Amino acid sequence: MEINSRPVVVKRMPERVNARTAREFMQALRPFLVTDRPQLVLDLSQVVRLDAAGVEMLLSCMSAAHKRDGDLKLAAPSPQAYVVLELTRTERLFEIYDTSSDAVRSFSGFLPNTMRQQLLHKRTPTISAA
Amino acid sequence: MDIRGLVLINSEAEPETEPNRFGGVPLGLLDVAGKSALMRTAERLRTFGVGPVTAVIEDFSSVPARGIAPGEPGLTSTFTSRDRFWRTAENAFNELVQTGAEIVILIKIGAYQEMDFEKFVQLHLDNNSRVSQLSYEGQPLEVFCISASRRNDAASLFRTRLSKCRVDCPLVELDGYFNPLRNAGDLRDFAIDILSLRTETCPSGIQMKPGVWVAPGAHIEKGARVIAPAFIGSGARIRSGSVITRCTSVERHAQVDCGTVVENSSLLANCYLGAGLDLAHSVAGMGIIANLRRGATALISDYKLIRSTSQAVTPNFLSSARELVSFLPRQLWRGMFGSRVQQPDLNVTLHQTSPALGKAAGYEAPACNTGAADEFPNLVAVRTHGNQ
Repeated sequence: MEINSRPVVVKRMPERVNARTAREFMQALRPFLVTDRPQLVLDLSQVVRLDAAGVEMLLSCMSAAHKRDGDLKLAAPSPQAYVVLELTRTERLFEIYDTSSDAVRSFSGFLPNTMRQQLLHKRTPTISAA
Repeated sequence: MDIRGLVLINSEAEPETEPNRFGGVPLGLLDVAGKSALMRTAERLRTFGVGPVTAVIEDFSSVPARGIAPGEPGLTSTFTSRDRFWRTAENAFNELVQTGAEIVILIKIGAYQEMDFEKFVQLHLDNNSRVSQLSYEGQPLEVFCISASRRNDAASLFRTRLSKCRVDCPLVELDGYFNPLRNAGDLRDFAIDILSLRTETCPSGIQMKPGVWVAPGAHIEKGARVIAPAFIGSGARIRSGSVITRCTSVERHAQVDCGTVVENSSLLANCYLGAGLDLAHSVAGMGIIANLRRGATALISDYKLIRSTSQAVTPNFLSSARELVSFLPRQLWRGMFGSRVQQPDLNVTLHQTSPALGKAAGYEAPACNTGAADEFPNLVAVRTHGNQ
Protein backbone atom coordinates (compact mmCIF):
# COMPACT_ATOMS: atom_id res chain seq x y z
CA MET A 1 0.00 0.00 0.00
CA GLU A 2 1.34 3.43 -0.94
CA ILE A 3 1.18 5.31 2.29
CA ASN A 4 2.87 8.54 1.34
CA SER A 5 2.96 9.87 -2.19
CA ARG A 6 3.77 13.47 -1.36
CA PRO A 7 7.29 14.62 -2.22
CA VAL A 8 9.94 15.04 0.44
CA VAL A 9 12.20 18.02 -0.16
CA VAL A 10 15.81 17.57 0.87
CA LYS A 11 17.92 20.72 1.12
CA ARG A 12 21.55 20.94 2.06
CA MET A 13 22.44 23.79 4.38
CA PRO A 14 25.47 25.98 3.64
CA GLU A 15 28.79 25.68 5.46
CA ARG A 16 28.32 28.89 7.41
CA VAL A 17 24.88 29.78 8.66
CA ASN A 18 24.82 33.34 9.94
CA ALA A 19 22.08 35.99 9.82
CA ARG A 20 22.60 36.71 6.09
CA THR A 21 22.90 33.13 4.83
CA ALA A 22 20.01 32.07 7.06
CA ARG A 23 17.81 34.73 5.48
CA GLU A 24 18.84 33.65 1.97
CA PHE A 25 18.27 30.01 2.81
CA MET A 26 14.85 30.81 4.25
CA GLN A 27 13.94 32.64 1.03
CA ALA A 28 14.94 29.58 -0.98
CA LEU A 29 12.90 27.35 1.28
CA ARG A 30 9.75 29.52 1.30
CA PRO A 31 8.12 28.04 -1.85
CA PHE A 32 8.25 24.59 -0.25
CA LEU A 33 6.93 25.81 3.09
CA VAL A 34 3.76 27.32 1.61
CA THR A 35 2.65 24.05 -0.01
CA ASP A 36 0.08 21.81 1.64
CA ARG A 37 1.61 19.53 4.30
CA PRO A 38 5.25 20.23 3.40
CA GLN A 39 7.76 17.50 4.13
CA LEU A 40 11.26 18.86 4.49
CA VAL A 41 14.63 17.38 5.32
CA LEU A 42 17.55 19.70 5.99
CA ASP A 43 20.97 18.14 5.54
CA LEU A 44 23.39 19.68 8.04
CA SER A 45 26.41 17.58 7.10
CA GLN A 46 28.27 20.54 5.54
CA VAL A 47 27.59 22.99 8.34
CA VAL A 48 30.79 24.16 10.00
CA ARG A 49 29.52 27.31 11.69
CA LEU A 50 26.00 27.72 12.96
CA ASP A 51 24.85 30.91 14.64
CA ALA A 52 21.80 31.64 16.77
CA ALA A 53 20.29 33.13 13.60
CA GLY A 54 20.65 29.74 11.94
CA VAL A 55 18.96 27.95 14.82
CA GLU A 56 16.21 30.57 14.77
CA MET A 57 15.74 29.92 11.05
CA LEU A 58 15.46 26.16 11.69
CA LEU A 59 12.81 26.77 14.34
CA SER A 60 10.92 29.18 12.09
CA CYS A 61 10.94 26.60 9.27
CA MET A 62 9.64 23.89 11.58
CA SER A 63 6.98 26.23 12.93
CA ALA A 64 5.88 27.11 9.37
CA ALA A 65 5.83 23.43 8.37
CA HIS A 66 3.77 22.47 11.42
CA LYS A 67 1.25 25.22 10.69
CA ARG A 68 0.50 23.49 7.39
CA ASP A 69 0.42 20.04 9.01
CA GLY A 70 3.82 19.19 7.59
CA ASP A 71 7.12 18.44 9.27
CA LEU A 72 10.79 19.34 9.14
CA LYS A 73 13.51 16.87 10.01
CA LEU A 74 17.24 17.26 10.29
CA ALA A 75 19.75 14.86 8.77
CA ALA A 76 23.43 14.13 9.32
CA PRO A 77 24.27 17.12 11.49
CA SER A 78 27.99 17.79 11.64
CA PRO A 79 29.53 17.66 15.12
CA GLN A 80 29.86 21.46 15.06
CA ALA A 81 26.16 21.88 14.27
CA TYR A 82 25.26 19.39 16.99
CA VAL A 83 27.34 21.36 19.52
CA VAL A 84 25.33 24.52 18.76
CA LEU A 85 21.99 22.70 18.79
CA GLU A 86 22.84 21.23 22.19
CA LEU A 87 24.11 24.58 23.46
CA THR A 88 20.81 26.28 22.56
CA ARG A 89 18.77 23.37 23.93
CA THR A 90 17.02 22.90 20.59
CA GLU A 91 18.29 19.44 19.61
CA ARG A 92 15.39 17.87 21.52
CA LEU A 93 12.83 19.78 19.43
CA PHE A 94 13.88 18.24 16.12
CA GLU A 95 13.78 14.73 14.76
CA ILE A 96 17.40 14.11 13.85
CA TYR A 97 18.55 11.25 11.59
CA ASP A 98 22.01 9.98 10.73
CA THR A 99 21.51 10.26 6.97
CA SER A 100 19.22 12.13 4.59
CA SER A 101 17.80 8.86 3.24
CA ASP A 102 16.88 7.77 6.77
CA ALA A 103 15.10 11.08 7.28
CA VAL A 104 13.24 10.74 3.95
CA ARG A 105 12.26 7.17 4.75
CA SER A 106 10.90 8.25 8.13
CA PHE A 107 8.21 10.29 6.38
CA SER A 108 6.79 7.21 4.66
CA GLY A 109 7.07 5.21 7.86
CA PHE A 110 4.44 7.29 9.59
CA LEU A 111 1.00 8.27 8.48
CA PRO A 112 0.02 11.92 8.26
CA ASN A 113 -1.63 13.21 11.37
CA THR A 114 -5.14 13.42 9.89
CA MET A 115 -5.06 9.85 8.60
CA ARG A 116 -3.61 8.61 11.86
CA GLN A 117 -6.40 10.27 13.82
CA GLN A 118 -9.03 8.70 11.54
CA LEU A 119 -7.49 5.26 11.84
CA LEU A 120 -7.12 5.53 15.58
CA HIS A 121 -10.75 6.59 15.83
CA LYS A 122 -11.87 3.55 13.81
CA ARG A 123 -9.71 1.07 15.72
CA THR A 124 -10.46 2.26 19.24
CA PRO A 125 -13.19 0.04 20.68
CA THR A 126 -16.19 1.93 21.96
CA ILE A 127 -16.77 1.52 25.65
CA SER A 128 -20.41 1.75 26.45
CA ALA A 129 -21.42 2.89 29.86
CA ALA A 130 -23.29 0.29 31.84
CA MET B 1 72.59 24.55 48.42
CA ASP B 2 71.44 27.08 45.82
CA ILE B 3 68.83 25.42 43.62
CA ARG B 4 67.11 27.47 40.94
CA GLY B 5 64.21 26.73 38.59
CA LEU B 6 63.93 27.33 34.85
CA VAL B 7 60.52 26.80 33.23
CA LEU B 8 60.05 26.86 29.47
CA ILE B 9 56.88 27.27 27.40
CA ASN B 10 57.08 27.28 23.63
CA SER B 11 55.63 25.77 20.49
CA GLU B 12 57.48 23.38 18.21
CA ALA B 13 55.00 23.46 15.34
CA GLU B 14 52.48 25.73 13.68
CA PRO B 15 49.83 27.02 16.10
CA GLU B 16 46.98 25.47 14.13
CA THR B 17 48.53 22.02 13.90
CA GLU B 18 49.96 21.67 17.36
CA PRO B 19 47.64 19.71 19.60
CA ASN B 20 48.59 21.13 23.00
CA ARG B 21 46.90 24.47 22.35
CA PHE B 22 43.44 25.93 22.73
CA GLY B 23 42.62 28.89 20.52
CA GLY B 24 46.32 29.26 19.72
CA VAL B 25 47.34 29.44 23.38
CA PRO B 26 49.47 26.69 24.96
CA LEU B 27 47.45 24.76 27.53
CA GLY B 28 50.16 25.41 30.12
CA LEU B 29 49.27 29.13 30.06
CA LEU B 30 45.52 28.70 30.49
CA ASP B 31 44.03 29.11 33.94
CA VAL B 32 42.64 25.98 35.53
CA ALA B 33 40.81 26.53 38.83
CA GLY B 34 42.42 29.93 39.17
CA LYS B 35 46.01 29.33 38.10
CA SER B 36 47.82 28.11 35.02
CA ALA B 37 50.03 25.02 34.97
CA LEU B 38 53.00 27.40 34.71
CA MET B 39 51.98 29.23 37.90
CA ARG B 40 51.30 25.97 39.71
CA THR B 41 54.70 24.58 38.70
CA ALA B 42 56.46 27.77 39.85
CA GLU B 43 54.50 27.66 43.11
CA ARG B 44 55.47 24.03 43.65
CA LEU B 45 59.14 24.74 42.99
CA ARG B 46 59.03 27.51 45.58
CA THR B 47 57.36 25.15 48.07
CA PHE B 48 60.40 22.87 47.82
CA GLY B 49 62.77 25.78 48.33
CA VAL B 50 63.70 26.08 44.67
CA GLY B 51 63.99 29.74 43.81
CA PRO B 52 63.98 32.17 42.27
CA VAL B 53 62.20 30.69 39.25
CA THR B 54 62.76 32.03 35.73
CA ALA B 55 60.19 31.40 33.00
CA VAL B 56 61.08 31.69 29.33
CA ILE B 57 57.87 32.04 27.32
CA GLU B 58 57.49 32.24 23.57
CA ASP B 59 55.68 35.45 22.66
CA PHE B 60 52.66 34.16 20.80
CA SER B 61 51.77 36.65 18.10
CA SER B 62 48.08 35.70 17.96
CA VAL B 63 47.42 36.08 21.66
CA PRO B 64 48.98 38.52 24.12
CA ALA B 65 50.75 36.03 26.38
CA ARG B 66 51.36 38.68 29.02
CA GLY B 67 47.64 38.98 29.58
CA ILE B 68 47.30 35.24 29.99
CA ALA B 69 50.13 34.64 32.38
CA PRO B 70 50.01 37.43 34.93
CA GLY B 71 53.13 37.98 36.95
CA GLU B 72 53.54 36.19 40.25
CA PRO B 73 55.95 37.01 43.05
CA GLY B 74 59.16 35.02 42.80
CA LEU B 75 58.67 34.32 39.10
CA THR B 76 60.67 36.23 36.52
CA SER B 77 59.16 35.98 33.05
CA THR B 78 61.10 36.51 29.81
CA PHE B 79 59.19 36.70 26.55
CA THR B 80 60.97 35.89 23.35
CA SER B 81 60.29 35.15 19.69
CA ARG B 82 60.08 31.61 18.39
CA ASP B 83 63.36 31.67 16.46
CA ARG B 84 65.31 33.00 19.46
CA PHE B 85 63.58 30.81 22.04
CA TRP B 86 66.27 28.17 22.63
CA ARG B 87 69.07 30.74 22.58
CA THR B 88 67.18 32.78 25.22
CA ALA B 89 66.62 29.64 27.31
CA GLU B 90 70.34 28.84 27.20
CA ASN B 91 71.20 32.44 28.14
CA ALA B 92 68.72 32.26 31.04
CA PHE B 93 70.42 29.05 32.25
CA ASN B 94 73.87 30.67 32.02
CA GLU B 95 72.60 33.69 33.93
CA LEU B 96 71.33 31.46 36.73
CA VAL B 97 74.72 29.75 36.92
CA GLN B 98 76.58 33.07 36.96
CA THR B 99 74.43 34.34 39.83
CA GLY B 100 75.44 31.40 42.00
CA ALA B 101 73.10 28.49 41.21
CA GLU B 102 74.57 25.07 41.97
CA ILE B 103 71.72 22.99 40.59
CA VAL B 104 69.08 24.04 38.06
CA ILE B 105 65.76 22.25 37.70
CA LEU B 106 64.66 22.62 34.09
CA ILE B 107 60.98 22.01 33.27
CA LYS B 108 59.30 22.34 29.90
CA ILE B 109 55.51 22.71 30.07
CA GLY B 110 53.92 20.60 28.48
CA ALA B 111 52.83 18.09 30.88
CA TYR B 112 52.03 18.97 34.47
CA GLN B 113 53.59 16.78 37.14
CA GLU B 114 53.86 16.86 40.89
CA MET B 115 57.33 15.61 41.67
CA ASP B 116 58.92 15.66 45.06
CA PHE B 117 61.77 17.92 43.94
CA GLU B 118 63.70 17.34 47.17
CA LYS B 119 63.81 13.63 46.39
CA PHE B 120 64.67 14.34 42.76
CA VAL B 121 67.68 16.49 43.71
CA GLN B 122 68.77 13.99 46.35
CA LEU B 123 68.75 11.13 43.79
CA HIS B 124 70.66 13.36 41.37
CA LEU B 125 73.32 14.01 43.98
CA ASP B 126 73.46 10.38 45.16
CA ASN B 127 73.99 9.15 41.59
CA ASN B 128 76.67 11.80 41.12
CA SER B 129 75.02 12.59 37.79
CA ARG B 130 75.63 15.57 35.54
CA VAL B 131 72.04 15.56 34.25
CA SER B 132 69.09 13.55 35.61
CA GLN B 133 65.76 13.21 33.84
CA LEU B 134 62.27 12.53 35.18
CA SER B 135 60.19 9.73 33.70
CA TYR B 136 56.61 8.57 34.01
CA GLU B 137 55.80 4.89 33.44
CA GLY B 138 59.16 4.50 31.74
CA GLN B 139 58.62 7.40 29.34
CA PRO B 140 61.09 10.30 29.75
CA LEU B 141 59.54 13.66 30.59
CA GLU B 142 60.96 17.07 29.78
CA VAL B 143 62.00 17.65 33.38
CA PHE B 144 65.74 17.72 34.17
CA CYS B 145 67.98 18.26 37.12
CA ILE B 146 71.26 19.79 35.87
CA SER B 147 74.45 20.36 37.80
CA ALA B 148 75.32 23.99 37.15
CA SER B 149 79.01 23.25 36.68
CA ARG B 150 78.16 21.15 33.59
CA ARG B 151 77.45 24.00 31.22
CA ASN B 152 78.42 22.06 28.12
CA ASP B 153 75.99 19.26 28.93
CA ALA B 154 73.26 21.85 29.43
CA ALA B 155 74.21 23.59 26.18
CA SER B 156 73.93 20.31 24.23
CA LEU B 157 70.53 19.76 25.81
CA PHE B 158 69.27 23.21 24.75
CA ARG B 159 70.73 22.90 21.24
CA THR B 160 68.92 19.61 20.66
CA ARG B 161 65.68 21.12 22.06
CA LEU B 162 65.79 18.82 25.10
CA SER B 163 65.68 15.73 22.89
CA LYS B 164 69.24 14.48 23.49
CA CYS B 165 71.93 14.93 26.07
CA ARG B 166 75.58 14.20 25.32
CA VAL B 167 75.90 12.17 28.52
CA ASP B 168 73.65 9.41 29.81
CA CYS B 169 70.78 10.80 31.88
CA PRO B 170 69.64 8.46 34.64
CA LEU B 171 65.83 8.35 34.70
CA VAL B 172 64.02 9.06 37.95
CA GLU B 173 60.49 7.71 38.09
CA LEU B 174 57.73 10.16 38.98
CA ASP B 175 55.67 9.03 41.94
CA GLY B 176 53.21 11.91 42.09
CA TYR B 177 50.34 13.26 40.00
CA PHE B 178 50.82 13.51 36.23
CA ASN B 179 48.71 15.08 33.48
CA PRO B 180 50.06 15.20 29.92
CA LEU B 181 48.03 18.38 29.08
CA ARG B 182 47.95 17.47 25.40
CA ASN B 183 44.42 18.53 24.51
CA ALA B 184 41.20 20.09 25.82
CA GLY B 185 40.21 16.76 27.39
CA ASP B 186 43.39 16.74 29.48
CA LEU B 187 42.72 20.35 30.51
CA ARG B 188 39.26 19.34 31.64
CA ASP B 189 40.66 16.31 33.52
CA PHE B 190 43.13 18.63 35.21
CA ALA B 191 40.28 20.86 36.43
CA ILE B 192 38.34 17.81 37.69
CA ASP B 193 41.42 16.45 39.47
CA ILE B 194 42.10 19.80 41.16
CA LEU B 195 38.47 20.22 42.25
CA SER B 196 38.31 16.60 43.44
CA LEU B 197 41.52 17.20 45.44
CA ARG B 198 43.39 14.43 43.64
CA THR B 199 46.29 16.80 43.19
CA GLU B 200 48.45 18.42 45.82
CA THR B 201 47.79 21.81 44.25
CA CYS B 202 44.47 23.36 45.29
CA PRO B 203 41.97 25.69 43.65
CA SER B 204 42.80 29.31 44.36
CA GLY B 205 40.39 31.37 46.41
CA ILE B 206 38.36 30.62 49.49
CA GLN B 207 36.27 27.53 50.06
CA MET B 208 32.89 29.21 50.67
CA LYS B 209 31.14 25.90 51.37
CA PRO B 210 32.41 22.33 51.02
CA GLY B 211 33.65 21.88 47.46
CA VAL B 212 32.85 25.41 46.25
CA TRP B 213 35.88 27.68 45.81
CA VAL B 214 35.32 31.34 45.12
CA ALA B 215 38.19 33.70 44.31
CA PRO B 216 38.14 37.33 45.55
CA GLY B 217 36.01 39.66 43.43
CA ALA B 218 33.75 36.94 42.07
CA HIS B 219 30.10 37.98 41.92
CA ILE B 220 27.41 35.33 42.28
CA GLU B 221 24.01 36.93 41.91
CA LYS B 222 21.05 36.02 44.04
CA GLY B 223 19.14 33.16 42.44
CA ALA B 224 22.22 31.57 40.85
CA ARG B 225 23.12 28.08 42.03
CA VAL B 226 26.65 26.81 42.43
CA ILE B 227 26.75 23.10 43.21
CA ALA B 228 29.93 21.51 44.55
CA PRO B 229 32.51 20.81 43.36
CA ALA B 230 32.94 24.05 41.46
CA PHE B 231 35.30 26.99 41.12
CA ILE B 232 34.43 30.63 40.42
CA GLY B 233 37.43 32.79 39.50
CA SER B 234 38.23 36.36 40.47
CA GLY B 235 36.02 38.97 38.81
CA ALA B 236 33.78 36.26 37.36
CA ARG B 237 30.06 36.95 37.29
CA ILE B 238 27.35 34.32 37.64
CA ARG B 239 24.01 35.87 36.83
CA SER B 240 20.65 35.09 38.32
CA GLY B 241 18.98 31.80 37.40
CA SER B 242 22.14 30.13 36.15
CA VAL B 243 23.40 26.79 37.46
CA ILE B 244 27.07 25.85 37.82
CA THR B 245 27.55 22.18 38.58
CA ARG B 246 29.65 18.99 38.36
CA CYS B 247 33.28 20.08 38.60
CA THR B 248 32.77 23.22 36.55
CA SER B 249 35.45 25.86 36.70
CA VAL B 250 34.58 29.42 35.73
CA GLU B 251 37.86 31.28 35.37
CA ARG B 252 38.68 34.93 36.06
CA HIS B 253 36.47 37.62 34.49
CA ALA B 254 34.25 35.03 32.82
CA GLN B 255 30.50 35.69 32.77
CA VAL B 256 27.59 33.28 32.77
CA ASP B 257 24.39 35.01 31.76
CA CYS B 258 20.90 34.44 33.15
CA GLY B 259 19.38 30.97 33.08
CA THR B 260 22.40 29.21 31.61
CA VAL B 261 23.37 25.75 32.86
CA VAL B 262 27.09 24.96 32.91
CA GLU B 263 27.74 21.33 33.68
CA ASN B 264 31.09 19.50 33.79
CA SER B 265 32.75 22.27 31.80
CA SER B 266 35.62 24.72 31.93
CA LEU B 267 34.85 28.31 31.07
CA LEU B 268 38.15 29.98 30.28
CA ALA B 269 39.22 33.43 31.41
CA ASN B 270 37.43 36.49 29.91
CA CYS B 271 34.71 34.36 28.32
CA TYR B 272 31.07 35.44 28.15
CA LEU B 273 28.43 32.73 27.86
CA GLY B 274 25.01 33.94 26.70
CA ALA B 275 21.62 33.64 28.39
CA GLY B 276 19.51 30.49 28.46
CA LEU B 277 22.17 28.14 27.13
CA ASP B 278 23.22 24.65 28.12
CA LEU B 279 26.96 24.00 28.15
CA ALA B 280 27.94 20.48 29.12
CA HIS B 281 31.12 18.37 28.91
CA SER B 282 33.00 21.18 27.20
CA VAL B 283 35.87 23.60 27.36
CA ALA B 284 34.73 27.03 26.19
CA GLY B 285 36.54 30.27 25.58
CA MET B 286 37.96 32.58 22.91
CA GLY B 287 34.93 31.93 20.70
CA ILE B 288 35.56 28.18 20.70
CA ILE B 289 33.63 25.32 22.26
CA ALA B 290 35.40 21.98 22.46
CA ASN B 291 32.73 19.40 23.22
CA LEU B 292 34.52 16.46 24.77
CA ARG B 293 31.63 14.01 24.53
CA ARG B 294 31.31 14.54 20.76
CA GLY B 295 35.03 15.14 20.20
CA ALA B 296 34.12 18.25 18.21
CA THR B 297 35.43 21.78 18.26
CA ALA B 298 33.02 24.46 17.12
CA LEU B 299 34.08 28.00 16.29
CA ILE B 300 31.29 30.37 17.25
CA SER B 301 31.18 33.88 15.90
CA ASP B 302 27.77 34.74 17.36
CA TYR B 303 28.18 37.22 20.20
CA LYS B 304 24.85 36.21 21.70
CA LEU B 305 26.15 32.70 22.39
CA ILE B 306 29.80 33.06 23.36
CA ARG B 307 32.41 35.78 23.12
CA SER B 308 35.53 37.10 24.76
CA THR B 309 35.03 39.97 27.14
CA SER B 310 37.46 42.86 27.02
CA GLN B 311 40.58 42.49 29.13
CA ALA B 312 41.37 46.18 28.94
CA VAL B 313 40.45 48.27 31.97
CA THR B 314 39.39 51.43 30.11
CA PRO B 315 36.55 50.01 27.97
CA ASN B 316 35.19 48.08 30.96
CA PHE B 317 35.32 51.20 33.14
CA LEU B 318 33.67 53.38 30.48
CA SER B 319 30.96 50.79 29.91
CA SER B 320 30.21 50.57 33.64
CA ALA B 321 30.23 54.37 33.99
CA ARG B 322 27.81 54.76 31.06
CA GLU B 323 25.46 52.21 32.63
CA LEU B 324 25.62 54.00 35.97
CA VAL B 325 25.06 57.51 34.58
CA SER B 326 22.18 56.48 32.33
CA PHE B 327 20.42 54.35 34.94
CA LEU B 328 18.45 57.10 36.71
CA PRO B 329 17.28 58.94 33.54
CA ARG B 330 16.20 55.64 32.03
CA GLN B 331 14.19 54.73 35.12
CA LEU B 332 12.55 58.18 35.16
CA TRP B 333 11.72 57.96 31.46
CA ARG B 334 10.31 54.48 31.90
CA GLY B 335 8.26 55.59 34.90
CA MET B 336 6.75 58.61 33.14
CA PHE B 337 6.28 57.45 29.57
CA GLY B 338 6.88 53.71 29.48
CA SER B 339 3.98 51.29 29.32
CA ARG B 340 3.53 48.88 32.18
CA VAL B 341 5.21 45.60 31.43
CA GLN B 342 2.75 42.75 31.54
CA GLN B 343 3.79 39.70 33.51
CA PRO B 344 4.35 36.88 31.01
CA ASP B 345 1.85 34.09 31.01
CA LEU B 346 3.28 30.93 32.56
CA ASN B 347 2.02 28.83 29.68
CA VAL B 348 3.84 31.10 27.24
CA THR B 349 6.98 31.01 29.36
CA LEU B 350 6.93 27.23 29.36
CA HIS B 351 6.86 27.26 25.56
CA GLN B 352 9.99 29.36 25.29
CA THR B 353 13.40 28.10 24.27
CA SER B 354 16.64 30.01 24.63
CA PRO B 355 16.30 33.82 24.76
CA ALA B 356 19.42 33.93 22.56
CA LEU B 357 17.28 32.69 19.68
CA GLY B 358 15.26 35.89 19.34
CA LYS B 359 11.75 35.65 17.94
CA ALA B 360 12.01 31.92 17.32
CA ALA B 361 11.90 31.54 21.10
CA GLY B 362 8.14 31.71 20.71
CA TYR B 363 8.15 28.39 18.96
CA GLU B 364 4.97 26.44 19.49
CA ALA B 365 6.38 23.19 20.80
CA PRO B 366 7.23 23.44 24.49
CA ALA B 367 10.89 23.52 25.37
CA CYS B 368 10.26 21.70 28.60
CA ASN B 369 7.50 19.42 27.49
CA THR B 370 6.18 18.23 30.77
CA GLY B 371 2.83 17.27 29.28
CA ALA B 372 1.14 18.88 32.22
CA ALA B 373 1.56 22.45 30.97
CA ASP B 374 -1.82 22.52 29.23
CA GLU B 375 -3.64 20.72 32.00
CA PHE B 376 -2.21 22.84 34.80
CA PRO B 377 -1.55 26.33 33.45
CA ASN B 378 -0.18 27.56 36.75
CA LEU B 379 2.41 24.80 37.01
CA VAL B 380 5.95 26.09 36.97
CA ALA B 381 8.59 23.67 35.70
CA VAL B 382 12.03 24.52 36.94
CA ARG B 383 15.03 22.78 35.47
CA THR B 384 17.53 22.31 38.25
CA HIS B 385 20.55 20.91 36.43
CA GLY B 386 21.53 18.21 33.99
CA ASN B 387 18.58 16.25 32.76
CA GLN B 388 16.54 16.60 35.91
